[in-house]
Amino acid sequence: MLAFLLNRFFHALLVVFVVSILAFILGDVVGDPVASILGLDATPADRLALRTRLHLDDPFVLRYLYYVQNLLHGDLGVSYAAQRPVSALLAERIPATMELAAVALTLSLAIGVPLGVYAAVKRREFFASALMTLSVLGVSLPTFVVGILLIFCFSLGLGWLPSFGRGEVVTIGFWTTGFLTVSGLKSLIMPALSLAIGQIALVARLARAEMLNVLKSDYIRFARARGLKNRTVYFSHALRNTLIPIITVSGIQLGYLVAFAVVVEQVFQWPGMGLLFLQALGQTDLPVISAFLMVAALFFVGINLVVDLLYAVADPRLRIKTLSARS
Amino acid sequence: MIRTKWLTTLCATFCMATAISGVTQGVAATLRYGGTTPPLTMDPHVTNDFVTAALVRQIYDTVVDLKDDMQIGPGIASEWTYQGNNTWRFKIRDGVKFHDGTPLTVDDVIFSIMRQKGSPLYTALFGGIKEAVKVDDTSVDVISSAPDPILPRKMVRLFVMSQAWAKANNVEKLPDLGAQGTEAYSLRHANGTGPMQLVSQDPGRKTVFARNANYWGPFPGNVTEAIYTPIGAAPTRVAALLSGELDLITDLPIQDIERVKSTPGFHIEQVPQQLAMFLELDGTRDVALDIFDKSGKPLQANPLKDVRVRKAFALAIDSKLIVQRVMRNQAVPLSVGGAYGMDGFQKDLDTGRPYDVQQAKKLLTEAGYPDGFTIQLNCPLERYTNADEICRAVASMLARIGVEVRVKGMVWPEFARMLVNGPSSSFHLIGGAGNSGDIQDTFVSIMATRDKAKGRGGTNWALWTNAEFDAVVDELVQTFDPAKRTELYRKGLTIARDQVHGVYLFQPMLSWGMKDTVNVSARADAAVMLQNVKMK
Repeated sequence: MLAFLLNRFFHALLVVFVVSILAFILGDVVGDPVASILGLDATPADRLALRTRLHLDDPFVLRYLYYVQNLLHGDLGVSYAAQRPVSALLAERIPATMELAAVALTLSLAIGVPLGVYAAVKRREFFASALMTLSVLGVSLPTFVVGILLIFCFSLGLGWLPSFGRGEVVTIGFWTTGFLTVSGLKSLIMPALSLAIGQIALVARLARAEMLNVLKSDYIRFARARGLKNRTVYFSHALRNTLIPIITVSGIQLGYLVAFAVVVEQVFQWPGMGLLFLQALGQTDLPVISAFLMVAALFFVGINLVVDLLYAVADPRLRIKTLSARS
Repeated sequence: MIRTKWLTTLCATFCMATAISGVTQGVAATLRYGGTTPPLTMDPHVTNDFVTAALVRQIYDTVVDLKDDMQIGPGIASEWTYQGNNTWRFKIRDGVKFHDGTPLTVDDVIFSIMRQKGSPLYTALFGGIKEAVKVDDTSVDVISSAPDPILPRKMVRLFVMSQAWAKANNVEKLPDLGAQGTEAYSLRHANGTGPMQLVSQDPGRKTVFARNANYWGPFPGNVTEAIYTPIGAAPTRVAALLSGELDLITDLPIQDIERVKSTPGFHIEQVPQQLAMFLELDGTRDVALDIFDKSGKPLQANPLKDVRVRKAFALAIDSKLIVQRVMRNQAVPLSVGGAYGMDGFQKDLDTGRPYDVQQAKKLLTEAGYPDGFTIQLNCPLERYTNADEICRAVASMLARIGVEVRVKGMVWPEFARMLVNGPSSSFHLIGGAGNSGDIQDTFVSIMATRDKAKGRGGTNWALWTNAEFDAVVDELVQTFDPAKRTELYRKGLTIARDQVHGVYLFQPMLSWGMKDTVNVSARADAAVMLQNVKMK
C-alpha cells in the first residue's frame, strides 16, 4: 500500500514538474513581455532596462531555477499587467471558477444520472432512445455556442437572466460566494448550464451503460426472482452499484470542468481564473500564465491522486496484491 | 464566428421568444456602460493603454484639456505661452480642489509632470522635458531640452495627481514593475481633480465612479453615478445592451451596427477613430525578408526599395473596395499619412488614391519584375478590426499584378515582438495612432528615418527612409509659426505620398451603441466623457 502511495505521489510530482517546464516554455513562445508592457513607443534603452530587471535575458535554466525557487517560497511573482501579486489575483478568481465548476458538476449528476437510469430501464421506449440521440447532440455542441444560445434566449429574448458577470457576491473570509444573493444565483444559472450540458450527456450515457450491465447480473435476477418490486430492484440494488464508476469519472470530470470554464468564462464575462488566463495570454503576462497552468496542473494531479487512492480503498485486489508483495 | 442572425432565428424557434421585453430603466442618473477590456490600473502614469486612459480621464484632469473634437483647450492650465529658450509657461487655474478636498497647487502640477515623465511608457511624449520650475503660486515653467512647438498639445496626456496624497500613500515614485511585494495604493485608489471621483475599482469586474460635486469646470450632463464593466465577448456585450443591462457600450462590432440601429429604443454614435491603418513596405534592406521569386527560391534583392514597385503596390490596392467590403463602410478611406482629427492633417491632400492595375503592371515591368514575385505579409490578428480579412483582400488585389502574397497571421504579442526586437518584417499591416494627436508625432516616430540618437523613427518598422522628408521633420520640430508649420505638414505629407512611404488604407470608425435615453457623442479617443452624458 505504501509503495503504491509513493508511486502515485511520485507520478504526481513528475507531472507537476513537466507542466512547470512547459508553462515556462509557453511563456517564451507567446510573445515578448517587454513588448507587451511598454508597447511599441518605448525607447530601446527603457526596454533593455526592463528586460534586465525582469531577468528576461538570463539563460533559460537560470530563469527557471529562479522561478522554482520563488515557487517553493509560495511566491508566484507579480503580474506584469495588473501589477499585483499573482497569488492575490488568483485568490480573488479561484472562488468564482470553483463555484461554477461545482454547480456544473452537481447539475450534470443531478440531471444525467436520472436520465441515464430512465434510458436503461425503459430502453425499448421511443422517448428513451430519443434521449440518447439528443445526448449525442449535447456532447458535440461546443460550449460557447450553447452559452451564446442561452444568452439569446434568456437574456435577450425573455429578459430573465443576466447575460454577464457574477452578480452581487458575499465575502466570507477569503472566499467570495455568489450563492447567497439572488443576483448571484441568477448569474450562475446560464454559465453553469452551458458548462454542464456536455457533462450531462456524458453522465447520462455512462449511467445508462453501467445500469444495463448491472441489470444483467445475477443478483438482480435473484432479486427479481424473490419477487421484489421493480422500483426496489432498480433503485436499491442496481443504482448503488451503478453509481461507483460514475462518481469516479465525475471526480476526473471536475478537472475538465475547470479547464472548460475558460471558454464559458469568456462568453459570460465570468470573473474566474479562465478569464484571467485569457487576458494574461493577450498581454504576455508570463507570471499569470505560468501560475494558472501550475494551479490547473496541481488541481488535475490532486484529483487524480485522490481517485487513485480511492481505488485502492475500494478495490480489494489492489490491497491484496500489495500485501502479498510485501510478505 | 457565429453570425447573430441564425442565432436569433434559432432562438426564436427554441424558446418562442416574443419581443424584447420592456427595457428596464434604472435610476436615471446612473450610467451602466461597458467596453472590451478592463482598465489595467487607476494610476494614470503607469500605463498608456488607451482604454485605461479613457477611464482615468474621468478622474484625473490633464494640464491641457482635450475637447470632444480633439482640439486643445484650457484644463488645469488656463493659458500657456512660449517664453523662448525652450520654455513654456503654464498658468495654473485657481480654485481647483482634489477629490479629498485639498486645493491644487503649482507643486502638484510639477510633481505630476516629473512623475509621469519618469515612466518609460511616456518617453516618446515627455522624454524631452528637462524640468518643471515653479515661477510663482500660479505659474509653472516647463523647460525642454530642445524647442518644442507642440508641448501644450502633448500636455493633453499629462494627468495631474495630488502630491500630498501620493506621499501619504507611498506612491510618490512610480510603482516599480516586476518588483516583488504588495500592490501599490494608486492602482485601485485615485485622487484627482476630475469631474468624477473613483468609488471602487474591482479589477476585471467593474469600476464605479461618482460625480464630483466640487468640480471646477462645466458639468452639462446629469450622471451622478457610473459603472463601467468590461465584457470581452462581443455577442455578450451586444446582448447586455439590447437586454437593457447596460445603457451604453463602446466597441460595437461592425456586424451588429445595423442590428442595434434597427432595434427600437437604441441608437448608435460614430466618429472616425484616431487610427490610420496602412501597409508598411521595407525601404532599407538590400535583401528583403521573406521574399521569393516565382519558383520559390529566396530573392536576393529588395524590390520594395524601388519606388516604382512601391507605386505599383499603391495603385493595385483599392482601399475604397476594402472599406466597402471588409469594413462594411465603417471606415474612411485614406490616401495620405495621418488621420482625420489630428492637428496638421491636410484634408484637401486626401484626394483618394487612383486604382489602376494596368499602370501598376507597367511599373512592375519597368522595375524588372514583369512576372512579379512572392512576398510574406505579416498580419497582426485581433488587435485591429477585421485585420485578417484586410490582409487577405490585399493579397488577392496584389495577385492581379502578379505579386503572390503569403499572409502570415500572428497574435499581437507575437507580432509586437517581431517589431520591437527587430524590426524583422519587410511587409506588414499596422495601425498608426497619433501620440499627442499632432501629425508631427506621426512624422517623427512613424515616418522619419530610424535614428536612435535623434530619437526619430522609433516606430518606423519597415525602415522607410527619405532624406528630403527628414529635412522637413528637422524643420518642423522647431517651427512655431502656424503658417510655416502648415506648409511643412503639406510638404511632408506630399513627399510621403509620392514616394509611397506606405500604402494608406483607411481610418476605422468608432461605434458606440446606446439606449435612446442616453445622449452623448462619440469621441475619437474612445473616452466616454461622463460629465457630458445626459440621461432621460
